[in-house]
Amino acid sequence: MRNRYTWNRRLPYLLLAPSVIVLLALILYPLAFALCNSFWFWNLQMGPAPLYYSGLDNYRLVFQVTPFWVALKNTLLLGFLGTFAQFWFGMGIALLLHTHLRGTGLMRALLIMPTTLAPVVAGFLFRYLLEPKGGLLLWALEGIGFPVPPQGFLGNANTALLSIGAVDTWQWTPFFAIVLYAGLLSINEEVKEAAQVDGASAWRMFWSITLPLLRPIAAFLVMIRFMQLFNSFDLVFVLTSGGPGTASRTLSFNLYREGLVNYNIGLTAAMTWLVVIIVSVIINLYLFFIYRKREW
Amino acid sequence: MQRRHKVIIYALMALVMIFFLGPILWFILLAFRHPSEAYTLPPQLFFEPYLGNFGDTFVDPGNNAPQLVSSVIVSTGATLLSLPFALASAYALSRFAMRGKDFIMNWYISLLIAPPIVFVIPYFILMSRIGWAGSYQAMIVTLQTLAIPFSVWLLKSFMDEVPLDLEEAAWVDGANRIAAFFRIIIPLALPGIIVTSMFTFVFSWNNVIFPLALSKQSTTTLPVGTISFFASSGVYWGHIAATAVVAMLPPMIIFLLLGRYVVRGLTFGAVKG
Repeated sequence: MRNRYTWNRRLPYLLLAPSVIVLLALILYPLAFALCNSFWFWNLQMGPAPLYYSGLDNYRLVFQVTPFWVALKNTLLLGFLGTFAQFWFGMGIALLLHTHLRGTGLMRALLIMPTTLAPVVAGFLFRYLLEPKGGLLLWALEGIGFPVPPQGFLGNANTALLSIGAVDTWQWTPFFAIVLYAGLLSINEEVKEAAQVDGASAWRMFWSITLPLLRPIAAFLVMIRFMQLFNSFDLVFVLTSGGPGTASRTLSFNLYREGLVNYNIGLTAAMTWLVVIIVSVIINLYLFFIYRKREW
Repeated sequence: MQRRHKVIIYALMALVMIFFLGPILWFILLAFRHPSEAYTLPPQLFFEPYLGNFGDTFVDPGNNAPQLVSSVIVSTGATLLSLPFALASAYALSRFAMRGKDFIMNWYISLLIAPPIVFVIPYFILMSRIGWAGSYQAMIVTLQTLAIPFSVWLLKSFMDEVPLDLEEAAWVDGANRIAAFFRIIIPLALPGIIVTSMFTFVFSWNNVIFPLALSKQSTTTLPVGTISFFASSGVYWGHIAATAVVAMLPPMIIFLLLGRYVVRGLTFGAVKG
């Protein structure tokens, strides 16, 4: 009997071990690789191995040669604006769906389609629609007198990043809408009826009852979407390639450029560690402050 | 509800649908337009459908047909490889009280939301060192950084719903935990396992960073193939649209099939829907 007891106590760890070991190997290798090579000068075009020890030079060069601060600012801006816009648009649509008028079921099934697209495909959709000569969306906006920059929205330094955010918002607002709608369904109607009896207005009920009850779901959605926006690469790649100039560079795109286009492995390694530190801080702050009380 | 309110709500719903589906439909139409008509303005909603874009890309010369095959191989491979790892972990997390469970769940999700590009560049070097450069297995193995954490989360949510009583009954009958797992959990969680696999397939299918860095021309996947049109001479929208339409179909069909599981899949099982 005792044997069986210890066996059952160890079993969960044995079951977890394979996936944890595989994942640890898959993430510790890149992190260790980046840490070691961040102290070496290594350009892959000059040789298959690091060339010489360069101390902290790579960390200094990240700020001097690559547009690190611009990219950090863009990345955070994209994350905050995108998440904010998607949450509130999504909430609006979720409330529309929650009216349960005829047709909302079909609407819900079709609405998710943008979210199913590969981000590169979504990027192509809007590159086509925003093409300076012949893009339907640009043509329509010009038609109603909207001020369109002569290079188009993607070629203009002031609008390139916002356009990326807008396309991401188009793609992921349905996701917020569908999930928040599921959240609305899970709210106990009796609570609302009680508030109604007490004479609360619809506006008041939304802010004091609906929104607080949606908080656990909202916290989860905001976290994963913020991070996905923070990691934006595919859309940037297809829509603007970080341009014009460095106007729409993100941290992920910087890493791609230095690593897989310029082959500056040492420099990329240093940048990787800076990004890893930033991401860890964000995720841990989030888990600590907002997400702590969640039970699995 | 008042009639006036209803009218307003329907008008808003129509606007929402046009806004979110219009761009997709317009792009699908592009795939059936003759290249000379890609930029015709004002827009032509009705035109002679032209199948040449699909012919050029998938039949003759058909450069994108092998990419379709690669996409199927990589996505299926990544899904199948993740399953045994994810099943074991999800079962452990669903059925045992253990210390550090929250930590492990959070650890999985932090992998899921970490920037993949951070891992990709070292993998790129590693794969050429071990002779896997450009191979399918390079993509399939590295995609596990996303596929395993995702499947663990989603599978756990499905296993949580299999009643404990049934398993306990099997133990009373003398089955050990492993036997009960195969006889009770696997069959009862089978719909959940299938749903999870389909979502993992879609996420691998839509992934671009890993194939972009780790594939070679003969193993690259369809979404990456779409990108390569940009690099070559001029932008040929008909071809881009034709390949992109083929690339978008499997995820769309799977999402329509999965219907009521969509919320759960997209939130990794955290919201039941």
